[in-house]
Amino acid sequence: MEETLTWDEMRSIFLDEWLLITDFELDSSGHLIRGVVARHSVDKDEVYRLPALDKPSAFKFTGTSTFPGGWRAHAEHYHV
Amino acid sequence: MPNTTTFDTNAPYIYLPISVISGNNTLYEFDAIFDTGAPRTEFSDTALAYAGVIGATKPSVLKDGLQTQKYAKAILPQVHICGHSIENLEVFVSHFEKSWGIDALVGLDFLRRFRTEIDYSRGILVTEGLPLAVR
Repeated sequence: MEETLTWDEMRSIFLDEWLLITDFELDSSGHLIRGVVARHSVDKDEVYRLPALDKPSAFKFTGTSTFPGGWRAHAEHYHV
Repeated sequence: MPNTTTFDTNAPYIYLPISVISGNNTLYEFDAIFDTGAPRTEFSDTALAYAGVIGATKPSVLKDGLQTQKYAKAILPQVHICGHSIENLEVFVSHFEKSWGIDALVGLDFLRRFRTEIDYSRGILVTEGLPLAVR
């Protein structure tokens, strides 16, 4: 039987990995509370591979984003 | 009626969960960043391909700079964000770097639809649909 984990447990077990989570529960804001990790990998393509699972799925990354966007990044990049 | 959405004030960005209901009525939940630098909401092509919204992704050729690589538009049948449901939302399809760890950018089009109050002291977004949204 697949184990249900909390989001905090997922983050501690699967470091810097992409997760596909099924049978999940969300809070009132839509944030993940717990679920079953159906796929995990450091390679995003491996987790998002087709065919898709035939059930509701949540996708999460447990690492730190390197996203460079936002006004602050824009200002730093263009030395505003 | 305003909705209240929590966010982590310790994170470097405002992360928001965004749900896409696909044509086969399956829910897909993705992580997004609220980015007022994006004129329109964008989704990663890999996420939309998984949800069956687009057929295939294009090879990436990321250019230097801060722009995402937008290459198409798509209509999402139904999206849930901050407790609001939006039907037939037009979004950009983009290549997202894997290290970004997200699948969507919530852009200025969200602010055209919803009055939005960001309260960092409480870690909440209070959003309410505008009666005459400018789309």
